[in-house]
Amino acid sequence: MVDANAITDDALREDVRAWLADNWKGLPKALPGAGGAGWGASAELKAWLRTVVDARWAAPRWPTEWYGRGLSDAQARIIEREFAKVGAPGAGQDRTNLWANTLLAKGTPALKAKLIGLLLCSDVGMCLLYSEPGAGSDLAGIRTRADRQGDNFVVNGQKVWTSGAATADYGMLIARTDWDVPKHMGISFIFLPMKQPGIEVRPLRQITDESHFNEVFITDAIAPVENLLGELNTGWSVLQTALAYERSVMGEGARGPRSGAAEARGEEPLIALAREAGVLGDPVLRQDIARVIAYKRLNALNTARAKADLAQGTSSPVMSLGKLAMSRILHEEARVRTAILGAGSLLEGPEHPRAEDANFLTLNAYFTSIGGGTDQIQRNIIGERVLGLPKEPEVDRDIPFRQVRGG
Amino acid sequence: MASLSPEERAALRDAVSRLLADYSAEADVRRAMETESGYDAELWRRLSDMGVVGLVVEETYGGAGAGPLELELVMEEVGAALLCSPLLSSAVLAAELLRALGDDDAKARLLPGIAAGTTIAAVALTGASGEWTEETVEVHVSESDGAWRLDGVADFVIHGQNADVLLVLAHAADSLGVFEVDPADVTIKPLPTFDHTLRLARIEFAGAPARRIETAGHAWDAVKPALDLALVALAGEQAGAARRCLEFTVDYAKSRIQFGRAIGSFQAIKHMAADLLLESESAISAARNAAARLAEGADDADVAISLAAFACADAFTRVAADSVQMHGGIAFTWVHPAHLYLRRARADAQLFGTPTAWRERFVEALEA
Repeated sequence: MVDANAITDDALREDVRAWLADNWKGLPKALPGAGGAGWGASAELKAWLRTVVDARWAAPRWPTEWYGRGLSDAQARIIEREFAKVGAPGAGQDRTNLWANTLLAKGTPALKAKLIGLLLCSDVGMCLLYSEPGAGSDLAGIRTRADRQGDNFVVNGQKVWTSGAATADYGMLIARTDWDVPKHMGISFIFLPMKQPGIEVRPLRQITDESHFNEVFITDAIAPVENLLGELNTGWSVLQTALAYERSVMGEGARGPRSGAAEARGEEPLIALAREAGVLGDPVLRQDIARVIAYKRLNALNTARAKADLAQGTSSPVMSLGKLAMSRILHEEARVRTAILGAGSLLEGPEHPRAEDANFLTLNAYFTSIGGGTDQIQRNIIGERVLGLPKEPEVDRDIPFRQVRGG
Repeated sequence: MASLSPEERAALRDAVSRLLADYSAEADVRRAMETESGYDAELWRRLSDMGVVGLVVEETYGGAGAGPLELELVMEEVGAALLCSPLLSSAVLAAELLRALGDDDAKARLLPGIAAGTTIAAVALTGASGEWTEETVEVHVSESDGAWRLDGVADFVIHGQNADVLLVLAHAADSLGVFEVDPADVTIKPLPTFDHTLRLARIEFAGAPARRIETAGHAWDAVKPALDLALVALAGEQAGAARRCLEFTVDYAKSRIQFGRAIGSFQAIKHMAADLLLESESAISAARNAAARLAEGADDADVAISLAAFACADAFTRVAADSVQMHGGIAFTWVHPAHLYLRRARADAQLFGTPTAWRERFVEALEA
């Protein structure tokens, strides 16, 4: 449709602007509580996304046979910027849509034809079926099995920490397909249909008393063989592709206080809180407050520096430090909030929003220091991949998975 | 102040890095720190020839006319190599104080020599507390028949024993002033420093003749920019030193074998190294940010500078301290360089105010 080499930056920018001017009329405001988790898209949003996809603005880096324009990254960003200027969603999905990107990279032609368009329009619900009760930090130790029977895989096992499982149409599943090879070599990556009798979803109650995640019990569930991504038993490398997309869209920060209680605009929240509590003059608290604000600002500066390095084409070791830094920020901020409140933190409930904040943040900090790889695993990754330190010897790496201890 | 292009800045940094690799290697540092002056005059001349000593001095006076960004980058290399020199006292503090005071005669008299490295200047400000505040200045000035004389004591004067000229802060009856003093007219007692790569002196004034350096405003208003620039320079030194210290520590963890494997493969060591990378990279970010905010003359430069002051001090101290621990017994010996970094880290952390004091200033700046 469009030759990537034929269009200048200016012409492209004009095209996008003109198209947006003709088509973008805004979307109705989302209802309170709707779309918060990002899984359910409104009918209006889906319709808009369809328009964007049909006009080939959703994934312009992709080839023309898959909704794209074969554009360079630089030109694709021009499109993203124009969409961002008017607040229109749907552009840049070739960078940010985990599901569609994974499928495009590794899916069978049949599955791509069936799902990629729907994924770009948020018209199909997705969830991740990775972690298991017995495979947390050691994800390659999964024991959910997928056995080939005719044109299907039959799947049995248990998954955990699954967001959106109740509404999902498909889950991106890793399951063991060969038990007689070392653990990384017998895993396959499958799009598992979720709306079938063999799938049971149970919400998990978190320590924050919220339920954002589920356990998924899988009993003789069926997935057609065309739903396999990559070759059989190469699921570990497909997973790395998927995780890379996931990481590229994560890290815009963590949740703040949930009370919604107003905080003085422009002032650092901890300073405002200490002022409100009448303890801003306490020299010990002031030292603590300085440390936490410093951690936050240093992390922001690190991120800005990494992005600047990246823009100049040099990769930065700083990028990998953000998650570890964020863990410390969240735990320390919660600790200092608690110290500021003192006995006030004994309470909870809507009458005590400051205590709610401090106590919630104290517990929710573990979401970041455990979820997506614990701080300890993160330190291993930084030590090995950034600093080049040697790996620990692994006793289970080279033996058939059948002989590996679990528990 | 003019700024160099990014390419020129990178070239400057590379040139300094190569010079220091050749002339400020560990053996050179150890040799210099055992001399009386505490620095290698030949290397000082080379740094002057390269334009490093006159880096922030205006071009009119023979300097390069560069600013905080360039200075910070150079200081990263200076810190990494543990350079022994009066750079901070003469080429940064004294030079910037003279610029900020704005006395054209004094500038014309002193800055060309400072920029060329032929004049070593030292700023005598701190009293017995070592604090860089107006209130703690312990030197007083009196005037009779148009002649100024100084009495009192300045303590912790950086490279005071090497100075060809002293710039002395002194209280007059109603205000603070800056005075030029000939070191021959005062008593200078070198202080024994824990960091052997540093030189400090106690200077006693007993009716010392002095020449007043004129300034349009309040003298402390000229101290503030000098101190700001020195803090940025020190932050760069700390960040660069922390990074180098972590590098050789990680290298050691890859090569030292115990229990049949490199100690860096043990999580006990690996996790310390990962935490230190966060510290040292955060220090680099803080120091460069402070330099950028100062160069821009940003309203919130005080926030950025106070943040860098304690973040870089804490980072370098922690990296150097953990480096000794991670090395084990070898770093408990005098011949190993880790303690040189630990000594420099502990000195740098106190030089212009404690990290605790800078955290307090940081909160004050955020409240403002």
